[in-house]
Amino acid sequence: MTDAPAVLGIETSCDETAVAVVRGYRVLSNVLASQVDAHARFGGVVPEVAARAHVEAIRALTHRALAEAGMHQMDLDAIAATRGPGLAGALMVGFSYGKALAWALDTPFLGIDHMEGHLFAPRLDDPEYGPPAIVLLASGGHSQIVHLKDWGEYETLGSTIDDAAGEAFDKLARFLGLGYPGGPAIDRESEGGDPDAVRFPRALPDRPFDFSFSGLKTSVVTYVRKHHAAGTLPPIPDLAASIQEAIADVLVAKTFNAVEETGVRALAGGGGVLANRRLRARLAEEADRRGVALHLPSVAMCTDNGAMVAAAGVYRLGLGERTAPSADIDSSLRLG
Amino acid sequence: MRIVAIESATPAASVALAEGREVVGSSQRVDRRGHVAFLVPALEFLFDQAGWSPGDVDVVAVDVGPGLFGGIRAGLSTAQALAGAVGARLAPVSSLDAVALRAATAHRKIWAVVDARRGEYAVAPYQPVPGGVVREGGVELVSAEAFRAILASDRRDGLVVGDWEALPESVFRGLHGIKTGRPRYPAADAVVDLALARAERDDLPHPDEVRPRYLREPDVRINWTDFRREEPWR
Ligand SMILES: [Zn+2]
Repeated sequence: MTDAPAVLGIETSCDETAVAVVRGYRVLSNVLASQVDAHARFGGVVPEVAARAHVEAIRALTHRALAEAGMHQMDLDAIAATRGPGLAGALMVGFSYGKALAWALDTPFLGIDHMEGHLFAPRLDDPEYGPPAIVLLASGGHSQIVHLKDWGEYETLGSTIDDAAGEAFDKLARFLGLGYPGGPAIDRESEGGDPDAVRFPRALPDRPFDFSFSGLKTSVVTYVRKHHAAGTLPPIPDLAASIQEAIADVLVAKTFNAVEETGVRALAGGGGVLANRRLRARLAEEADRRGVALHLPSVAMCTDNGAMVAAAGVYRLGLGERTAPSADIDSSLRLG
Repeated sequence: MRIVAIESATPAASVALAEGREVVGSSQRVDRRGHVAFLVPALEFLFDQAGWSPGDVDVVAVDVGPGLFGGIRAGLSTAQALAGAVGARLAPVSSLDAVALRAATAHRKIWAVVDARRGEYAVAPYQPVPGGVVREGGVELVSAEAFRAILASDRRDGLVVGDWEALPESVFRGLHGIKTGRPRYPAADAVVDLALARAERDDLPHPDEVRPRYLREPDVRINWTDFRREEPWR
């Protein structure tokens, strides 16, 4: 196992500056500088604020990741950095830093697809996880169901036709004045609430694996206005739990449509929305009921992190791949 | 002292290697969106040509702006990584200083201009002195009209250098004693000279203190979409 390659992973596609060292698929260190506070006052990620924070954090964070791994940079076997998709100004920081570091250390560089990173994250917690699997990826920027046929062979079965799931959480939490980011806020507020208090509509477009969340938003807004005016608004925990249930229902239903359709017996997830406790519980219940093996990574491995980028780097390095020094970021990179 | 200079604060990116004041290799490309792709291959090529290895570098000099935000960050990230990898010191320099340093005049007051986009320009005045220039005032972010007013109120003959082509022509119309000249963009060989001066004065900051000079707060335009227009319900 000590012969497995040690890879430094750098992730700066959105609002977390994250760096990790992974050996094989074992995490040696995983550090991040979260920008949630910087963006909270704007109620969402501001690209220029994100890019500025990355460039201030990247150097010290890389040193910390190495120190916590007990590793000298000379001993790295490769450096991996997210190439896309994400915010261009944010991606440029980690990608430039990683590419230059790799060149200066004379070690291979690998530009990584952020979504492939999410697909590899469960592997870091769980050696049992691997293809074939259905993977639900849901965050503020992306919502899709991926059929992991083999490492390196991914088919996106469905995705959102309007808002990402995390975006729906953010917008509704903002509307209800619950704070930012919306997912954790709604998760927290729904504590003790009745998920069946209000039956919000589940938008299920006729494509079996696609999501839609804009109808839910409209319906919540209309409902809250009407009942607030009439003085019949349920308590916030009931509202939050009902909203959460509607989002979880859609994600769970579509995900298991994909499981049934493909006959794949393993399920995993990634992205910040997979930190939602209700969604995790629902996925676990449903997987158990159907006898499907569930490989949900820890919350730290669901949200954006450097370890998942390093893990994808380990895989790509093993294939003998190298990303050329002349490579650029690709903010609209698509999986597969 | 072996210096690597990285310049990517304007549409013209360049890299230079120098032994002391002597530039032993340089490479430039004008492509506003191409900085990320340009820098490392340029470094690799120049190091091969010069027979250097990264470990030979004593100082990594980098233009930290003002200028293109993305370009500045690409350059600074590259410089931070290189310096950190080989234990070199980091020398931040100003894009306006780099432009002014290469202005060809012996007696005119120099006005260096960098296009900050969105109708704003970073400007600073300099005095030519033997062997270089000395900045005579603060760096300002101004509109074209405000820059014209500054030039009009200055009694001395002036030479405007830098990206004055980005200014509307009307800025210079009817102004007496003002000429325009080169260079249009800062270049890595000027960054070398400025960094060397700082290194010789032992005036190099800790790498964590090296930050871009934006001169402008983030442009916060949030897409609040549906809910922005409506009051929260409580
Ligand atoms: Zn993500």
